Amino acid sequence: MHDSILSFKRQRYLWVAFLLCLASLVAYFWHQPVGAPPNGGTWLGYTLGGIGATLILWLLWFGIRKRRYRSGVGTLRGWLSAHVYLGSSLILIVLLHSGFQVGWNVHTLALTLMLLVIFSGFFGVFAYLRYPALMTRNRDNATRDAMIEEIADLDQAALQLADAVDPAIHAIVLRSIERTVLGGGVWAQLTARDGSAEALENLRQAASSKEKGGDKAAPAANRGQTMIVMVDFLAGQTKSDKQSENLRKLIDLMTRKKVLAERVARDIQLQALMEIWLYVHVPLSIALLGALIAHVVSVLFYW
Amino acid sequence: MRWLIRKTTRKGKGQVSFEEDVHYGDALTIGRGANQAVFLSDMRVALEHARITVLGDGRYRVDSLVSAGIRIDGRTQQQAVADAGSLIEIGGARLELLPASTDYGAGIDISAIDKQELAAEREKTRQPTSLAETWLSRRLPSWLLLIATLVLFLGLPMAAHYVKGVDAVLQSTPLPSRDAWLAGELAPAHHFFGSDCQSCHSEAFRWVKDKDCLTCHAATPAHADPVAFDLPELGNARCAHCHRDHNGKTGLVRADQALCADCHVGLSDSTGGKSNLTDVGDFGADHPQFKVALPAWDASGAFTPQRVELSADLNERSGLKFPHDEHLVAEGLNGPQGRRVLDCASCHTPDAAGALMQPVNFVKHCQDCHALTFDVTQPDRQVPHARIQEIIYTLDEFYARRALEGGIVDAAAPEPLRVRRRPGQAPTPQERQLALTWARDKARQVGESLFTGRACSVCHAVSPGMTADEPWRVAPVRVAGVWFPKSRFDHRSHGTMDCVDCHRAEQSRASSDLLLPDIANCRQCHAGEQGGRDRLKSGCIACHGYHESPHLLQVDLP
Repeated sequence: MHDSILSFKRQRYLWVAFLLCLASLVAYFWHQPVGAPPNGGTWLGYTLGGIGATLILWLLWFGIRKRRYRSGVGTLRGWLSAHVYLGSSLILIVLLHSGFQVGWNVHTLALTLMLLVIFSGFFGVFAYLRYPALMTRNRDNATRDAMIEEIADLDQAALQLADAVDPAIHAIVLRSIERTVLGGGVWAQLTARDGSAEALENLRQAASSKEKGGDKAAPAANRGQTMIVMVDFLAGQTKSDKQSENLRKLIDLMTRKKVLAERVARDIQLQALMEIWLYVHVPLSIALLGALIAHVVSVLFYW
Repeated sequence: MRWLIRKTTRKGKGQVSFEEDVHYGDALTIGRGANQAVFLSDMRVALEHARITVLGDGRYRVDSLVSAGIRIDGRTQQQAVADAGSLIEIGGARLELLPASTDYGAGIDISAIDKQELAAEREKTRQPTSLAETWLSRRLPSWLLLIATLVLFLGLPMAAHYVKGVDAVLQSTPLPSRDAWLAGELAPAHHFFGSDCQSCHSEAFRWVKDKDCLTCHAATPAHADPVAFDLPELGNARCAHCHRDHNGKTGLVRADQALCADCHVGLSDSTGGKSNLTDVGDFGADHPQFKVALPAWDASGAFTPQRVELSADLNERSGLKFPHDEHLVAEGLNGPQGRRVLDCASCHTPDAAGALMQPVNFVKHCQDCHALTFDVTQPDRQVPHARIQEIIYTLDEFYARRALEGGIVDAAAPEPLRVRRRPGQAPTPQERQLALTWARDKARQVGESLFTGRACSVCHAVSPGMTADEPWRVAPVRVAGVWFPKSRFDHRSHGTMDCVDCHRAEQSRASSDLLLPDIANCRQCHAGEQGGRDRLKSGCIACHGYHESPHLLQVDLP
């Protein structure tokens, strides 16, 4: 049976984290600091702070451990499982350490950074648990490279077919191919803008204009869209039965290509979603390291 | 216009073959159509794909006939003016514009784009398909954030500590200074030097030193005699051991019972019997009966109050006779201004702080009724209070003058003194002697009556004096004072209670009654630290202070 990072070894690290939290809570409520509200300066405060700082350093070590492929200390999956559970337990341990006191200072900065790191990590857990399955389903037994190759083949076939229909159609298919963009910048990858919604809308418009006998779809060729424009054009400019046959084949090809292109875009999107949180998680965790050093040194500096 | 159309074919290993053709016309059409001057069979080429027109001087205008545009010198364009040497890419073919020569007005070289070059070109124009290929980075922001947090929140505050003037500069900017290190709000009393961390934290990476506290708190008394009670709990404890700042309004002053009870539960043991204090742990459960400072005077007459445990049969020697019950009768007392009902406040008024009662004052509180008159013929004249010699002088002088003036209304006086003397008539020496004798006798007689009969002895214990200068001795008096010198009691904070709730004065028939509340009385409302049903939580600090010994604090001054 598949052992996910959350269920690793019967949730061994969930129990470790749970016991750690329980012990911290019991100690927090049992401890009655004299003369002051609970804070980081009592013996329990120092203890919880020491545990928290050690955990943070250990969690940071994960970034190094995961690159050590030859390390024999536990499996990487076990490390990740512990990373997730013990990292989550930090929320409670550090809040208890602070005695729930916050302010505009380096101490609360460290707390805030830590919470941001942890919550971005929560998204990472969600992404790792959910997106691989979605990616597998989306790829439908193909690989991304295979899909891209198939798109290239379809392009070639579409060009030949379009040539047999009409030079104008050929031009538009050509344009469609040249304008087909897979991937792109950060935002383009994350949003997987394939224009399918717009394509549907354009299809509908083209169909209705054809019913009215008009031929108004052609200007859409200048609107800078690719396959959508194709569909518009094809729906609006059929001229003869023979052409219709070829057009129908062309539409089939282009539909197939559109599906593939969308799938590739979705694949890129899922991969990007699986990675994007790390661009928050990692820099903020390093910022947390800096804030943690500043926090510890400042506290000892003015002891 | 004569065009040279040269087709260059490369066949591996540097083998190149040329095929030249000539075209006539101003424009050169390029496409997959059979009617095109330059025919390209690539499916990616439109039937009519582009047109090149000669502009002269080796310059050409290139028009794209497809809406997608064509690549001219690496840029996709619809139309461009290009010089000879420019490269046009259409499908898999590369067209180089040639300069005009003697034989041809224009020329073009057509070659297939190398496959590797094509692949490299495709790779170059390929859009990124993973975030790692975009501008996003983890390493750079990590370094920047690490450096930023360390510089802003460690470097700058440290600089403010070590370099004079940096703090002031930082404070005037939005940059963080040592205030970013503030672990909690300062106690209100320390706010006025709050931004000067070094007033308390004089040394980096060290605990706050006692000497830093004593810079301001120089006159703070110790808890006990540091020589007699050389206890580690007292001697080794730093100020900051108990006084923990940066906890806002709480924390700076400890009010928990453990502060006291830790030692005072077993004080006689821990001090080796040196302490004569009774062990105490909690006001509600483990506190001895109160001890009062009972008024007493030593042989020389100096006030030396005795510390005695409060008990029901304890009597007070105030030196005064005063039955509270007679003064507090509900129907009132007869006075010179008629009937007057007295209450506690008639005589007991709080001091300015409201904590203690002012001493009862004879002139203010008693003399109204207890007038110190001494002669019926002059009911307005009174002797001064409390000053015995002045009383004697007053009487001597009063009666000497009366005798010399004559006309005394007193049957017991000698006949010559009862006769009213005419104005200007001087008394004879015999008359003067007679008057002086009478006046001296009269003054002594009235004095005796005052001291032992109708005035002084009403309230005071009067005994005959030892010397001629002091014919009477009045016992010393202490009516009001601090009864519980080791605790703090504030009448004002108990103002919602009635006086009789604690002082049963209306039933007191003698001034020897102590009328002080005992611990049971206090415990009706005050419980120990843990509190109790309908009772106040009252830790030690509610009544006692810590720094209250006559000795100054001994600290680790360098």
